Amino acid sequence: MDENVIKVENLVKYFDGRCVLDGINLNVPPGCIYGLLGRNGSGKTTIIRILLGLEPPTRGQTFLLDAQSTNLSEKVHGRIGYVAEAHNLIQNYKVSRLVKLCKDLSLQWNDKFFNHLIETFRLPMDRRVRQLSIGMRAQLNLALAMAIDPELLILDDPTLGLDTVARRQFLELAIDIIQQQGRTILFCSHILSDVERIADRIGILAGGKLVVDCPLEQLKKCVKKLRVIFPESPPPDLYLTEIINQQTQGRELVITVANWNKQKQTVLETFKPSSCTEIPMSLEDIFIECTKPSPVPITNL
Amino acid sequence: MFTLIKREIQDHIAYFLGAILFSAVIIAISISLIYHYDSGNPPVFRIGLSFPVIIVVIIGFCAMGATQMYTDRTRKISTLLSTLAVTRSRILLARIITGILAILTLLVPLTITAVVLLRLFTPPIPVYPGLVSEIFIATFLMAFACYCLGLLAGWNSSKIIPTLGGLVLTCILVPLVLVKGFGLHIVVILLLFIIASLMRTWHTFMSTSL
Repeated sequence: MDENVIKVENLVKYFDGRCVLDGINLNVPPGCIYGLLGRNGSGKTTIIRILLGLEPPTRGQTFLLDAQSTNLSEKVHGRIGYVAEAHNLIQNYKVSRLVKLCKDLSLQWNDKFFNHLIETFRLPMDRRVRQLSIGMRAQLNLALAMAIDPELLILDDPTLGLDTVARRQFLELAIDIIQQQGRTILFCSHILSDVERIADRIGILAGGKLVVDCPLEQLKKCVKKLRVIFPESPPPDLYLTEIINQQTQGRELVITVANWNKQKQTVLETFKPSSCTEIPMSLEDIFIECTKPSPVPITNL
Repeated sequence: MFTLIKREIQDHIAYFLGAILFSAVIIAISISLIYHYDSGNPPVFRIGLSFPVIIVVIIGFCAMGATQMYTDRTRKISTLLSTLAVTRSRILLARIITGILAILTLLVPLTITAVVLLRLFTPPIPVYPGLVSEIFIATFLMAFACYCLGLLAGWNSSKIIPTLGGLVLTCILVPLVLVKGFGLHIVVILLLFIIASLMRTWHTFMSTSL
């Protein structure tokens, strides 16, 4: 039995001759909250859809809870909660009918928790799904996914369309679930502050590749943004590898370097800069740097 | 499985109601024709009545299969269902069982009526034992073949191949029924067609993205 809840091996996906995913390898251990990030069209949803068996891969293999995605059984499906980006709920059904359908088709159903969520979100059970706002649909989708007490929760931009209060409620709920041991969450979002708050491992997709795959804390440590001031104009080449970005203005040089270590620091010191200060980076800053063209890989840390 | 079948029936209840209504109309016409047997309508007229019935059956069940698949595609029903504790094969199997139930909703009352009427009244033309069951099997398979064609057409974005398939099937079946009547040859052709279209539907439904 594999120790990883999610396993992606050399995944390749082409859409109409365009390569969306180019040899992705990814492992998510149990209990991990994995934040999968990327710009629009970078392939986050495609990875999730391939994992759930909704989309066939062009090449490579994916596994969920030790079962191959192309052949997931009812039992495995029953252990996975999924909130889709587009909230694929049957639009012409009444909320109560949709809830009953999902309940009847689930292996387990936590009525108490579901009712608590419905009350918290104030969802009307007698309305049709298409009459709900996007935010309400997101909440309903989330409540349906949570009600089955999933071992693995896959959230594809779950807070899309939610207002600030509902987003905060969702995050608190997610934290509640995290506190229940053994739960694993794969979380995609464009709201990086949300991801930063709950994720303990980050993956960043850019140009069809997974350019970042490491724990959040380690990512923050290894990507450094430095403001270096030289006595005269900065040297044309610092002989540093893995420079993500660099900008020069007069005597000042601002560089972003991946996989920062003592060796690189020593190389920089040989140029005898007048001062070298670190500029603090949020996950959003790191994300922006990593998704620029020709990204530097930061993986397996 | 029961939940999936129940959902399919509820979503396509119009076809079941249509089958019941159509069956009731045919029964009423049959009884009326028997009671007014001597009113002067020639037997050819009565046989001719069966052709609109066949056309309604062909169109009706083809439409049912196509509607089931088309609404699934547009409303992304399978996308939702297959993220619950359900597999794609179960979704399709439930759909096919629903189609069979709709066909039986139409044919079973008709067959029972035919058996009862044959016992109560002497038929105008000699009837050999097993005729009713032969007609039932052939009509069932014909309706099911049309239903399978509908399933294929509803899921396929290209409508040319299923339409051509339907035309070829009609061109073969109608002359065969006219010349040789219902029998083993028609059953074999229909079975082959059903297997081919079901395999194609199964393959496309299992392999395409939802």
